[in-house]
Amino acid sequence: MSSNGDIKLLTHEIGSLAKPPWHVKTSAGRAVDESDFEHARSWGDRLGVDGHEELVELLQRTEPSDKRTAEVANWSSRYALRLLESAGIEWVYDGEQQRTEMYAWAIEHANGFEPRGTIRSFDNKYYSKSAVTGPISLATPYHNDEFSFLKSAAQHKLKIPVTGAYTLAIWSYDEFYGPSQGRLGGGASRKDEIRARREFALDIARNLIRPNLQALIDLGAEWIQIDEPGASTEEDELELFVESFNVSVEGLDCVFSTHLCFSDYDLFFPAIEGMSECRQYCVGFANYDSRELGTSASDRPGYEVISKFRDLPYEPALGLGVLDIHTDFVESPELVRDRILYAVDVFGDPARIHVCPDCGLRTRSWDVAYDKLVNMVAGTKLAEEALSHSLARSR
Amino acid sequence: MEAFVPGIYPRSEALVQATRDLDRGRTTAEAVEAKRAQDLERLVEVQREAGLDLLTDGMLSWQDLFRPLVEATDGLKTGALTRFLDTNTFYRAPQAEGHAVRLTQPLDERYVAPLPAARFVTLPSPYAFSVGTGLTPGAIAEGVLKPQLEQVDAELVVLSEPFLARAERPTLDDLAAALERLTGGPRLALQITFGDAGPLVERGLFELPVDGVGVDFYATAATAVPEGTDKLLLAGVLDARNSLLEDPLELASFGSQLEQRVERVALVPNGDLQYVSEAIAREKVLRLGRAKAQRAEEAA
Repeated sequence: MSSNGDIKLLTHEIGSLAKPPWHVKTSAGRAVDESDFEHARSWGDRLGVDGHEELVELLQRTEPSDKRTAEVANWSSRYALRLLESAGIEWVYDGEQQRTEMYAWAIEHANGFEPRGTIRSFDNKYYSKSAVTGPISLATPYHNDEFSFLKSAAQHKLKIPVTGAYTLAIWSYDEFYGPSQGRLGGGASRKDEIRARREFALDIARNLIRPNLQALIDLGAEWIQIDEPGASTEEDELELFVESFNVSVEGLDCVFSTHLCFSDYDLFFPAIEGMSECRQYCVGFANYDSRELGTSASDRPGYEVISKFRDLPYEPALGLGVLDIHTDFVESPELVRDRILYAVDVFGDPARIHVCPDCGLRTRSWDVAYDKLVNMVAGTKLAEEALSHSLARSR
Repeated sequence: MEAFVPGIYPRSEALVQATRDLDRGRTTAEAVEAKRAQDLERLVEVQREAGLDLLTDGMLSWQDLFRPLVEATDGLKTGALTRFLDTNTFYRAPQAEGHAVRLTQPLDERYVAPLPAARFVTLPSPYAFSVGTGLTPGAIAEGVLKPQLEQVDAELVVLSEPFLARAERPTLDDLAAALERLTGGPRLALQITFGDAGPLVERGLFELPVDGVGVDFYATAATAVPEGTDKLLLAGVLDARNSLLEDPLELASFGSQLEQRVERVALVPNGDLQYVSEAIAREKVLRLGRAKAQRAEEAA
């Protein structure tokens, strides 16, 4: 609630944004052209990026070099920050502009893994996949540089997305913990598989994630979001996901949240009752919801499960996904408002509802992502007004 | 002992890059199709090198197991992006728009590519296709799969079934009725991918009206297979979700063990090879061929 007694809802982003073409090209060592200069110019103007003419000059006048690539990546972070800030989002990051990808970036900075090629995620979207081949350790803290830079560049507060231990384990091939032979025809049971994965995930939690989190906290991190899109991959391993989260964060001095997406969320219950260090769950719901307006349960089929988050004994906040990131459809402010109002009604406490997209927006163009985020903030304001009016009437 | 590779085969790194470029407006659809044709050529080569018995086109144009058929069917539409089992790969879940479905246009060469030798085709099983649609497997079989099968020129059609082994209380009655509607055309095999087929065997999996049954032997005990069955056993012995490369000798030895229980065995992957990269899939296919050759040598 704000100081004047009106209801105020926290807004935040989730993680990735598309990389601008001039960043993609310079990272890949390809030549930039007039369209890139124009992109940098027009988005710099549109977002009010301070000194963006320097970027245009950098792209136009300097020869490719590692130094230029690093500087362009920093500009990409400034643009992404401003995209989120100018849309009105309160807690922001840089759309993971400095990272290759949420899985690959973490694995690249870990010992014990080897790349095993590219796998399709859906349609023409892919991810790189590695195999664990030896003992796991942190090669070097892998978010420190970007966080230090972003602290100097951000105008809003920073929430750092970090890929979680269980997702890194389940998205990797196992060539180290499980048996390499003798598995055919009943040679290895499901219990054996789970035992191997537990050892794998907990080694990642202890030896990779935890020291990386500690390094961020030492730099002043206030809120770290542990991304676990793979959390519900195996129904019978949810306790393991919970255990790996707890091992990752236990005793560390920071606010921790978890991002879950594109899953059957019912599966998480009751397992996550044991995840009391998680102060917020940000969860994708819009992907499953109707696009019609309305604030009743039947109007909001995608949000049916939220009462289970409400009833968790440690009363975490819910990061309510209100933007479907898989479509260019731009949710109207009124649709966002109605999704929020329904959630607040279910929770009975607006302080426990935060507003966010379903997931990172990296598969959308900046035009679409920006329009969606602007409407998300506008819809949040409409919801705040409606809730404040309702509160005033009840007094 | 036979060997072949049902399911969706992975794209090469070159085709991956081409499709990424297409999405970013850096290349043309024609250029992507040219890369896809190269992938198909290479896939045919590797199958021949491995000495596989029936060729596949690898379903290289299929977005997922259902989409081309969904898009060609009146009464169906693509739904939410949904995780495929315990993988990080997603599919658009089929959704029904009513009670009647009708395939308007059988899949053309883009989805069932011509091949230079005896071939098989993979299609979704009527049960898997019906999941979440509210339709019966029979309605899917009659309205979608049957008209498609009538147009298929293949030695065998493998009906891929990823969901039945994970169903809470699976019943095979509806599936049996659906499969009955599909008989009379090409030989059919129902492949239970990525899951323990043991409980389904107990419920009559090997009594279904198909010529072959596929079992994932990374999740199913060899002893689950009924002794003396006259069905072709599609033995899932390549682990399509693991980068570890199988030992051909171990595969051959396991195949030999199975041949003591059933008369006809085909070595296959336990599901779509698209869950490993193309480089790994290629090596797995070659090892499958070596296992078959090893077994043939032993038998001789």
